[in-house]
Amino acid sequence: MSLPADNAPASRQAGVHEESRPSLAALLIDPSFWADWASVVGLVGLVILFGVTSPVFLSVANMQAILLAAAILVVLSIGQTFVVATSGIDLSLAASVMLGAVILGLIHAAGLGIFAACVLAVLATSAIGLMNGLLITAGRIPDFVVTLGTLSGITGLGLILSGGEPTMVGSTFLLKLASGYLGPFGYPVWVAIAAVLVAHVALYHTRFGVHLLATGGQAESASALGIRTNRVKIAAYTISGFCAGIASILLVARIGSAEPQINTSLLLNSVAAVVLGGVSLFGGRASILGPAIGALMLTALVNGLTLLSVSAFYQPLAVGVIVVLAALIMRYQK
Amino acid sequence: MRMFNCLALGAGLLATTFAVPAHAEDAKVAAIVKGLDNPFFQTMQKGIEEQAKADGVGVNVQAAANMGDATGQADKLTAMALQDYDCYLVNPISVSNLVQALVPVAQKKKPIVNIDSTIDAEQAKAAGFAVSTYIGTDNVAAGALAGEEMLKLVPKGSKVALVAGIVGDVGSNARIKGFKQAVEGKLDVVVMVSADWDREKALTAATDILAAHPDLAGFFAANDIMALGVERAVQTSGKDVKVIGLDGIVDALKSVAAGELTATVAQYPYVVGAMGVEACKLAAKGKELPANVPAPVLLINKDNAEASLKNFPRPGGDYPDPLREMLK
Amino acid sequence: MSTVNHIAPSEAILACQGLSKHFGGIRAFTDVGFQARRGEVTAVIGDNGAGKSTLIRCLVGVHVPDGGTIYFDGRQQPFSNPDEARKSGIETVHQNLALIDELTVAQNLFLNREIVRRIGPFALLDRKAMKDQARAMLSRLSINVPSVTQRVRRLSGGQRQAISICRAAGSGAKLVVMDEPTAALGVQETANVEALIRKLREQGVSVILISHNFDQVRRLSDQIWVMRAGKMVATVRSSETTGNELVALVTGAA
Repeated sequence: MSLPADNAPASRQAGVHEESRPSLAALLIDPSFWADWASVVGLVGLVILFGVTSPVFLSVANMQAILLAAAILVVLSIGQTFVVATSGIDLSLAASVMLGAVILGLIHAAGLGIFAACVLAVLATSAIGLMNGLLITAGRIPDFVVTLGTLSGITGLGLILSGGEPTMVGSTFLLKLASGYLGPFGYPVWVAIAAVLVAHVALYHTRFGVHLLATGGQAESASALGIRTNRVKIAAYTISGFCAGIASILLVARIGSAEPQINTSLLLNSVAAVVLGGVSLFGGRASILGPAIGALMLTALVNGLTLLSVSAFYQPLAVGVIVVLAALIMRYQK
Repeated sequence: MRMFNCLALGAGLLATTFAVPAHAEDAKVAAIVKGLDNPFFQTMQKGIEEQAKADGVGVNVQAAANMGDATGQADKLTAMALQDYDCYLVNPISVSNLVQALVPVAQKKKPIVNIDSTIDAEQAKAAGFAVSTYIGTDNVAAGALAGEEMLKLVPKGSKVALVAGIVGDVGSNARIKGFKQAVEGKLDVVVMVSADWDREKALTAATDILAAHPDLAGFFAANDIMALGVERAVQTSGKDVKVIGLDGIVDALKSVAAGELTATVAQYPYVVGAMGVEACKLAAKGKELPANVPAPVLLINKDNAEASLKNFPRPGGDYPDPLREMLK
Repeated sequence: MSTVNHIAPSEAILACQGLSKHFGGIRAFTDVGFQARRGEVTAVIGDNGAGKSTLIRCLVGVHVPDGGTIYFDGRQQPFSNPDEARKSGIETVHQNLALIDELTVAQNLFLNREIVRRIGPFALLDRKAMKDQARAMLSRLSINVPSVTQRVRRLSGGQRQAISICRAAGSGAKLVVMDEPTAALGVQETANVEALIRKLREQGVSVILISHNFDQVRRLSDQIWVMRAGKMVATVRSSETTGNELVALVTGAA
């Protein structure tokens, strides 16, 4: 710094005004406040609504069930958030989960042990993410096209590897992972909580996080300021792949077998959770808590509608209405 | 505010409009089927709902979002397991995806009625429960029924060809196996091809087969869609070759009634669903259930096609239903 | 370059000789000599397409020149990218590529030079230190923004330009290069940014200023260089010239 430091105190009053927090009343009439907190408001609204209409909804057992059911989606939404924050999208997410599950199943069936199987599953899905990132940056192909291609490619790979057949994974480790509790939460919930914490720190408390948002916000400006935006993007897709790997372990643990079937609702709900969480699809604006709560909200919505005996036909409609509403509210984001 | 209002209003509307009042019924049944994106399971749902109405049973039918939604199906069952249902009717996406969700059901000692797709017995045992009964269609028996019909239609020793579904598909294999067992030593199976459940592929394959075997007397296709494709090929060739399908979909019934498709073996997801409700009602009354109840398969030819069409998705005539007898 | 007066090398923070740049068949400029004196505000003026922006981009490493030499701080410095130039002490305030809208003022000021605390193998951002230092940086240059935690998107054009300049100056740069810093600003905001540039000069930072505005250039700069059709045609001391002379030099009417 070439500027004399003793200048600072004197000119301080003339400089920055201390941050004045807006009053609560002012916050409540500001639409962008509601946009920022859409997922929380939505979740609280749903909890009140279902709590009143269905006696079981607020029971401890049901709350635990919702959290357990949301764990996989929370982990996937975090992965999707990192990609969306760079103004990209990962359409291959659910297919990666399937491939991770298939690889986990096959390696376990080959007798290499469950830990090796889990590690290799995560490595495989991370490699898919890395490949997505490389194709998008070095190959200069739009994210949509690349991940759509990967979606199809790994669907085929999963079918080829598995021969289209499900593989049973009878592992006591996975069974414990799926059904064990530590304190009030099941292990998968703890995995999701850990993922949220790590991702939150990575996004808000590391240089990578700031560079990620800068890359997503204005990639050209970011690279003019010396940020290696391609590396940041590749890292984001690799994180997304890594999250898919963790999710595939949780999935196999939960259903007891590795199936070469893609659950498209996981992909769609991961994007929906990201939108509900106030993450801008144009990049540059993200949080981790928002999408996590968005994922929780979507899970609670289906749970509540199921408890209220609403026909399965109406449930996707309800999810759709809420996602579109959330997107409309995002327009008030400043 | 807007967000909250809209949410509250929207969800409130849904809740009040579609919630089933849960009172004044003999028993309450929770049912979970596979994805409703497939007409087969829509028909099954209809069977469950109509039978429940007829029997004065309350029912909540839920379904997976799609055929790949193994965890979503489990989540919904978990939610229903927390509620006070008298019986759980389950059609799992895979042999294991509902096992964990059924543990709390078993702990409450509520009956579990497994329909259509089976739950792996060993995994269930490891999780500490067993299903009360299984109700489903026997694909081998259905294939055999088609074989027996073919025997009636063509002279002994005639040449027949088989059109299977996707290679390795369990359902397709069982249907083909049943047909082969029924005609073994009596008919000459000259060729078997796979047409991936696809009408156009079946048409192409049948055209080729007809060219290769001019004296062919009959085709058996492992589902109706392929049978309709084969029938088109036969019609184009102008020969009198018998074509038998399997499933009993509306198009096939119409084709049989019109004298085009020779016959089809109908399975009834509607009946499978309905029998599941009957089983639940029996279990709620404390009756012992048979471990395995075969759902009816009926042969549909020109004689009964009209009646079948009229009653669709219910069977055209009466069918054996041991559960109905037990309810009397 | 007969019209160019040479300055002793020790006085120059940045200088170039015989610099040329072509894009395909199109000549941006040829055989350009230029010097910016230490501690002064040096202006480069010229009509649209005269080659000023391309020259500046070559000097700060955005483009690599086809021929000629560049000296920075007394040493020959062929910068091959903006990062190298930045590390050597040249900061550029780009016309449009300055700030990230979705980040806060403090985040923008410290973008790509974040302050971190090491905790074991992890490096976590020291957000408090960055906010405190950001406030201090802004105060030193008397820049008014509502809060350093405000997103840049919500700031006015003048505030954004001020923050870009503050960012450039705050890195301890020896030379700050500004490309049309007031082009999109209103009268009051332009005055604020001009005050800011004077403040930088007072604090000993060398500045290169590209501008269209001859009055502004005469108000702010010490030395003026004139480009016309890809050539450096003249250089004058600001105190010894008039607006009319500058117009004549730029248009070639002299």
